[in-house]
Amino acid sequence: MSRFTIRFVIVAAMSGSLWAVAEAGAGDLAPSFTRDIKGVLSNRCIRCHGPDPEGRAGGGDEGLRLDTFAGATADLGGHAAIVPGKPDESELIARITSTDPDVVMPPPDAGDPLSPRQVDLLKRWIASGAVYEPHWAYVPPKRPTTPEVKNTAWPKNDIDRFILARLEAEGLAAQPEADRATLARRLALDLTGLPPTPEEVDAFIADPAANAVETFVDRLLAHDGYGEHQARQWLDLARYADSAGYADDPQRTIWGWRDWVVRAFDANMPFDEFTIRQIAGDLLPQATLDDRIATAFHRNTLTNNEGGTIDEEFRTVAIVDRVNTTMSTWMGTTIACAQCHDHKYDPLSQKEYFQLYAILNNTADADRQNESPLAEIPWEPVDAQRAAIKREIAEIETGIPLLAKPAAKDRPEPPEFQPARKILDGLRTKLAATPAVTVPVLQELAGDKRRVTKIQLRGNWQNLGDEVAEGVPIAFSGPPVADAGRIDRLTLAKWLVDPANPLTARVVVNRIWERLFGIGIVSTSEEFGSQGELPSHPELLDWLAAELVARRWDTKAIQRLIVTSAAYRQTSKCPPDLVARDPENRLLGCGPRVRLSAEVIRDQALAASGLLSRKKGGPSVKPPQPNLGLSAAFGGGIDWQTSTGEDRYRRAIYTTWRRSNPYPSMATFDAPSREVCTVRRPRTNTPLQALVTLNDPAYVEAAQALARRMVREGGAAATDRAARGFRLVLARGPSSAEIERLVRLHDDAAADFRADPADAAKMATDPLGPIPAELGADAADLAAWTLVANVILNLDETFMCP
Amino acid sequence: MDPILEHKLLATRRHLLGTMAGGIGAIAMRDLLGATAAAPPVATDLMAPKLPPLPAKAKRMIVIHLTGSPPHLDLYDHKPLLVKHDGEDCPAETIAGKKFAFTSGTPKLLGTPRKWVRCGASGMELSDAIPNLHRVADKLCLVRSMFTDQFNHAPAELMVYTGSPRAGRPSLGSWVTYGLGTENANLPGFVTLISSGVQPNGGTSSFGSGFLPSVYQGVQCRSKGDPVLYVSDPPGMDRAMRRKSLDAIKDLNELQSRELGNPETATRIAQYELAFRMQASVPDVMDISKEPQAVLDAYGATLGQSSLANNCLLARRLVEQGVRFVHLFDWGWDFHGTNPGEDIRDGLTKKAATFDKPAAALIEDLEQRGLLEDTLVLCTGEFGRTPFREGRTASGGILGRDHYPDCYSIWMAGGGVKSGHVHGASDDLGFKVATDMVHIHDLQATLLHLLCFDHTKLTYRFQGRDFRLTDVHGHVVRGLLA
Repeated sequence: MSRFTIRFVIVAAMSGSLWAVAEAGAGDLAPSFTRDIKGVLSNRCIRCHGPDPEGRAGGGDEGLRLDTFAGATADLGGHAAIVPGKPDESELIARITSTDPDVVMPPPDAGDPLSPRQVDLLKRWIASGAVYEPHWAYVPPKRPTTPEVKNTAWPKNDIDRFILARLEAEGLAAQPEADRATLARRLALDLTGLPPTPEEVDAFIADPAANAVETFVDRLLAHDGYGEHQARQWLDLARYADSAGYADDPQRTIWGWRDWVVRAFDANMPFDEFTIRQIAGDLLPQATLDDRIATAFHRNTLTNNEGGTIDEEFRTVAIVDRVNTTMSTWMGTTIACAQCHDHKYDPLSQKEYFQLYAILNNTADADRQNESPLAEIPWEPVDAQRAAIKREIAEIETGIPLLAKPAAKDRPEPPEFQPARKILDGLRTKLAATPAVTVPVLQELAGDKRRVTKIQLRGNWQNLGDEVAEGVPIAFSGPPVADAGRIDRLTLAKWLVDPANPLTARVVVNRIWERLFGIGIVSTSEEFGSQGELPSHPELLDWLAAELVARRWDTKAIQRLIVTSAAYRQTSKCPPDLVARDPENRLLGCGPRVRLSAEVIRDQALAASGLLSRKKGGPSVKPPQPNLGLSAAFGGGIDWQTSTGEDRYRRAIYTTWRRSNPYPSMATFDAPSREVCTVRRPRTNTPLQALVTLNDPAYVEAAQALARRMVREGGAAATDRAARGFRLVLARGPSSAEIERLVRLHDDAAADFRADPADAAKMATDPLGPIPAELGADAADLAAWTLVANVILNLDETFMCP
Repeated sequence: MDPILEHKLLATRRHLLGTMAGGIGAIAMRDLLGATAAAPPVATDLMAPKLPPLPAKAKRMIVIHLTGSPPHLDLYDHKPLLVKHDGEDCPAETIAGKKFAFTSGTPKLLGTPRKWVRCGASGMELSDAIPNLHRVADKLCLVRSMFTDQFNHAPAELMVYTGSPRAGRPSLGSWVTYGLGTENANLPGFVTLISSGVQPNGGTSSFGSGFLPSVYQGVQCRSKGDPVLYVSDPPGMDRAMRRKSLDAIKDLNELQSRELGNPETATRIAQYELAFRMQASVPDVMDISKEPQAVLDAYGATLGQSSLANNCLLARRLVEQGVRFVHLFDWGWDFHGTNPGEDIRDGLTKKAATFDKPAAALIEDLEQRGLLEDTLVLCTGEFGRTPFREGRTASGGILGRDHYPDCYSIWMAGGGVKSGHVHGASDDLGFKVATDMVHIHDLQATLLHLLCFDHTKLTYRFQGRDFRLTDVHGHVVRGLLA
């Protein structure tokens, strides 16, 4: 497999550390522990010589630890694994260089011996004193000074100084700014998930002001579609779905929380507030309904309604998921292994895991089928119905007060009241059948109902060990928690966003960076621990984290900073030698070019074709999907009745997300099932994706609508119509060669369709519907333009953020 | 042939194919389309066939999953003592401290009402519910000592196929496809077929790719409607028109590629060409009308249905065409006794007839075509069923059994497992494994071993950890290997 293919068929799960580029060469000064040594120890030694005492091998009674200086230098009876300054006396060096299979480390069944380069680094590191450094991500970031650069004309803000300093150190140059049309599409898709209109692009191109980009960006940040687009990533983290999970996977009503997230992004709620309300909104003094709705973040866990299940078992599963999701989402830390045993690589104990668990273990929800506790939320269409029914009931009851009480056997009603009683009963039934909209919420248990948390041995909920109190892991050298009183969810929430927390700000800016550049400064955005990759630009990451905190967790401001940088604005046209040198573009020697998400691919097609509904919020909708003729296990059919009217064309974020059956065309573009927290989606490039955008009736319909738009808005000439379609999707104007190719396809297809009017009619109207008379185009012509539109919607460039 | 030599020859062949611009399929297609010297750059991809790390016994696999879990004590594991004590209270020690899905208190032992037959040269005892499997008993490797940790359907099914009772991990088929790629790029490498109208307990997660790239997930094929979603061109478009549009896409993408020099553009061009070929090859392989009537009859397949019989036949057609992994799910095996269809007498006879005929036909068909020796077939549910009557239905006239994880039976065939062999045994009443316990993770380790993997080394780095199908457990069960 070629290097390029690996990169571009799947751009996830990749990347070696760029520190390698700048590593200590032979004969240089001392190797750096973080850069050169830690990875070798972590990948090859720590599994058996790490923090987990169980299965720790070698050494004395406690086993040998190589993850700490004390452990590595401990006296093992006249010798030590590491003798600082003396590689020749260090047992570690003797072992890794031994040729005796009984002596050599790592043991032969654990893979190849260490490479000569690794051995050399370890020797020189020990010779220089074997200095251990704490794991970089567990040390709070300090705001670094911005570096000096030679090309002072290029940077637009401090981000660029970090990027350029590194490029210059590598002897590389940055690329010039992308053209305005390309930049317009990149910015609009990145910030709103919707393509810019040709008119917006024209205005941007024509804007002579020096701050034209900033103006354009500000308009996008205030755009009505901003929150919907930003929310998508958060819904992945929160494992938001419209079903409860497991076999029957019944419908769950929790969209009120999704709308809360969209509103929060639109209002640019500071991330610390955003955090506190979701983790512990119910515990805030004078908590509002909105605060309680926010806590549904952790009510997105699965509920198992399968017959014969033990609710407590699946309640504990949900709490485990909340612990893992909290740590992944806020601290980029995979803690799941500590559910069963002390972490093998990072200093997280099983006890600490259950201390976190204890914090989350005292909410009233308990894997119940009715999802209680619930909060009623206002939703006008339903509330209006309920109000009308209630009004009718009140009218009858006012007229005949006797009817206000239910009929009773010992109190016979006059026969003339019978008809009214019947109407009243009917109304009450109707009211019961029209419940107010609800959202499942977190609700802390009262004193006598509180649960005691015990360590679950080997992660088994029935096999309990010592009782543990609420607490947070000490490894992160983070802020102290609660001076007095119990540590609760509110304490946890505040601890997560305390400026002294070493991880949260880094994790948040890294995810923003990843979304905009396709790869994070830490490429393993889900793992900042020892097993994660080192940052490509550690100082920049810390600078951004410090900036986020200094700007009071204003994520919109951070995005503005990034997208107005020269680094972001570079053309994505990469010189071949740069591609060869840095195939993953980790150094950002050119602009990003990233495949769009499943949601944006759909929204873009609908927006460009003019079909997209801009209705916001409310119950999830059911756009067309193929009937599979199947039921869920122990549940109802998985086929659905397609939504009608504009609900057929809503943004993808409003598509009903059934976990056991994710919307197929989006799943094909790597949308997850949302059963668990997803930090980073893979980005694949497969033939099944081609089948979706070529043949899915939803995309065929978009092509038909786009074709009509091209005819309606493009003018009379075929070249102009083709150009209009091109600009509606891709923002830029086509080259003459591109125009020529599209028109040639149109003319060729139109001739074929004229010979077969039945095919032409289907191609132009199924499923969109009859051709409007005022369009003045015949079916063959429109069928041919539909084919052209289908081609434009399937170009490689269409799937990429340019 | 010496397996190591065979392995090396295969390596050479694959190497040659792999370097010839997309292999034979791509070349043939270019010829077919009258393409000139300016052939498209065809990138090899994630699905390219990969060499097994060790010489393999099995090169492909078919799973028949009986969703709901069949009553193994009425199919595969004859317990005369249980029959003798039928109707008596379960001995206290057999149920002490245990929880069951739908049974509480002291249930009554339920001896099987089925007749049993010693089959084949091995004398393997099988019940009269599966007469067709009697014929192939000497091909079967029957395991009577399976156990699992889960007793609810969804978690147990995820346990069997992803190694974890919680959703989110890659399934067996996706691990195998990730490890081995596919032999036929014009078809999905991992295909799922569902019969009896209900999807698996674990939903798409039972054949999903978890955190592996989605290219490795099971592609659900169907015998009604589009055999693969969106494989048909839209109404009004014929193949020639599609070809014209793809030519335009290719030309425009190449213009863009020359402008930007982004290698992913070349990959996309290749994927569109592959999609075009799949549009022909998928309907073709899914069309069982091409089979002789005698073959349809042997399986009990009927054109236009989505039965297990049709799916067994399709499984053979798919593996024959180079598909790496075929996963069948058939709903309706949850024999609680809540309705006559779930009675272990007539109900089981009827349901089993829809399964044992095509299953036996599949084994015979694979063997006749020389495919059985390197095709591994597994037939299992998510757990077993209790040696006692299910609590809710215990006082009625219908005989049913509850979910049971502690001891049950499965079978395999072909692909390097012992044939005509019974592995392990349950105790006299069928409550516990008596000898040669096989845990789900052991079974998985063994399946991967047969497919040439060391289960501890087939890993994928996710969230900073190397994940594997068997988590941190599992031992290869040598006693199952031929």
